[in-house]
Amino acid sequence: MRRIAIYGKGGIGKSTVSSNISDAISDMGFRVLQIGCDPKADSTKLLMGGKAPDTVLDRMREGNVSLDDVVHDTGRNVFCVECGGPKPGTGCAGRGIIAAFDQLEDLNAIEVIKPDVIIYDVLGDVVCGGFAMPIRNGYAKEVFVVTSGEMMSLYAADNIRQAVEGFGEDGYAEFGGLIQNSRGIDDENEIVDKAASEMNSRVIYRLPRNQAVQDAEAAGMTVVRHAPDSEMAKNYRLLAEEILRKSEDSEGGMRLKK
Amino acid sequence: MKIIHPRPNPIIAAMYTLRDMNVDVVVIHGPAGCGFMASRSLEQAGVRIVTTALSETDLIFGGSEELIKTLKEVDERFNPKTVAVIGTCASMIIGEDMKSSIKRAGLNCTVFPVEVHGCMANNTEGAIKALEAGRDAGIISPEETERQINLMKAATEMEKKRGLASKPYMKPSVGATKLNVCKKICDALSQDKKVAVVLNAKKELAYRFADMFLAVDEARKKLGGEVFFVANLDTEKGLPRIRGYAKNILAQLEDEGVLLNSNTGGLDEYALIGDDLKLPVESFNPDLTVIMGICHAYPDIKEDDILITDQPRQLSNYINSGFPNSVGEISSHSLVMGTDTIIPLETADTLRELVREN
Repeated sequence: MRRIAIYGKGGIGKSTVSSNISDAISDMGFRVLQIGCDPKADSTKLLMGGKAPDTVLDRMREGNVSLDDVVHDTGRNVFCVECGGPKPGTGCAGRGIIAAFDQLEDLNAIEVIKPDVIIYDVLGDVVCGGFAMPIRNGYAKEVFVVTSGEMMSLYAADNIRQAVEGFGEDGYAEFGGLIQNSRGIDDENEIVDKAASEMNSRVIYRLPRNQAVQDAEAAGMTVVRHAPDSEMAKNYRLLAEEILRKSEDSEGGMRLKK
Repeated sequence: MKIIHPRPNPIIAAMYTLRDMNVDVVVIHGPAGCGFMASRSLEQAGVRIVTTALSETDLIFGGSEELIKTLKEVDERFNPKTVAVIGTCASMIIGEDMKSSIKRAGLNCTVFPVEVHGCMANNTEGAIKALEAGRDAGIISPEETERQINLMKAATEMEKKRGLASKPYMKPSVGATKLNVCKKICDALSQDKKVAVVLNAKKELAYRFADMFLAVDEARKKLGGEVFFVANLDTEKGLPRIRGYAKNILAQLEDEGVLLNSNTGGLDEYALIGDDLKLPVESFNPDLTVIMGICHAYPDIKEDDILITDQPRQLSNYINSGFPNSVGEISSHSLVMGTDTIIPLETADTLRELVREN
């Protein structure tokens, strides 16, 4: 099983990239589980045809949670989970991620769904311990960061790299590299390459800026499903292949077996 | 300096301070077990204490609804005049807006938040937060608040210099038995020598240490010698509740025919009045001095002075600082909570037994 975490600054397109990767990987014949780690619970929207699924934490709050309630089968070997979380400005979303992961583990989610690939789509920067959970404790094995050439997005990428390296000694996740989601700013490739080399890392794929993304989003779908033969869909498929190449197979359930 | 032995807790310090201000109900906004041991003693002293019993889900989604519900129930059950809502590590880390929940609960009495948590370095910080919150709610005067805050700061300094915060680690000690020090007192009195007994108590703990005056006076009657009693039982200092302790103790001592030779400072002034307590003792020029309560506030303690503390770690601090005649009255605090009369002191009872055998 592959365990991939996708991080990046808010609004950079993590969920769009994650969802397209998920659909592309399932097209290769694998089972994929995408876990959205954001209280907004909109990571899997494009996979679910625009529907907002029940979240793990909402169900936990009601005191009654089963796998059937919180794992949503798209019918095409892509399974979606949203951790969910509190309303903005209340409670603790980070603690929520920890509790949601514990709950999924208690429910034997991995043993039941048997995914070949897990993709964690994680909110913005690593704001606190809770949002670092996918990096720690054997949940994810490789961390990729979506970034554009904009300074704030590269800054966030470096923060995430620092967090991953900080936990690195414990043998948890590794920093897999940057995914460039181009915004079309001047010299974007050079800027991102330079930042990557300063981070001692590299850009594993450059996604071009493309209208197909907005069109698919308007249809509530991923590009891979909405326009499967498009140039942009091809890009996502190549990115998915690259990610599989750059990740390692590992044993274990929700957490990798050491 | 990083101190690793368990320290007094700012949340608990705030709760004690609320008790001193005669707050009727304290609502701990946090886990059901937070402050459990201290709450039991405070309840004995007449304060109602409840918790919002936050669950893991409340931590994630916020605990404001639980707080509102708890406040309404407190109002119904206890019909209080003043309620304090006190923060904990859990509720403060997740940034609970206690003020807005209090407003939304809409109780008709005085309800105010105290924004404390466990990670505030000194427990006195918690007491200061409680005082400031009490001042802002109009239950203590700004003057008294300022006076109390200065006392708290002085106490913190004293602990850093000579007390529990003076070393990175202190082992708790149960110390020697009381027999040895009581023999010294008996010997001195039997030889017609002069014995001074100094009480520098912290608030309610005076109810226990004051028993020593009664026992030493009894010993003097039987064995002879001369005694001199000094205490910080000024009835005109501090909050009404604390003055009440001093009044009760003085009245009981008087009933038993024991009079103080000098009464200096209030029961909340223990950190500042060492010199004032010592001055009259010096003119008495004793052969043996017994110091009780916050002993390390007393200046220039001598190696053969007898020190009586209630804290096992303070006891080891005294013994290690070169005062072998130190004894511990362990668990005194739980014994004095809620009392309004003097509580027997082990050292005092030992002395009584020894005198009766003589």
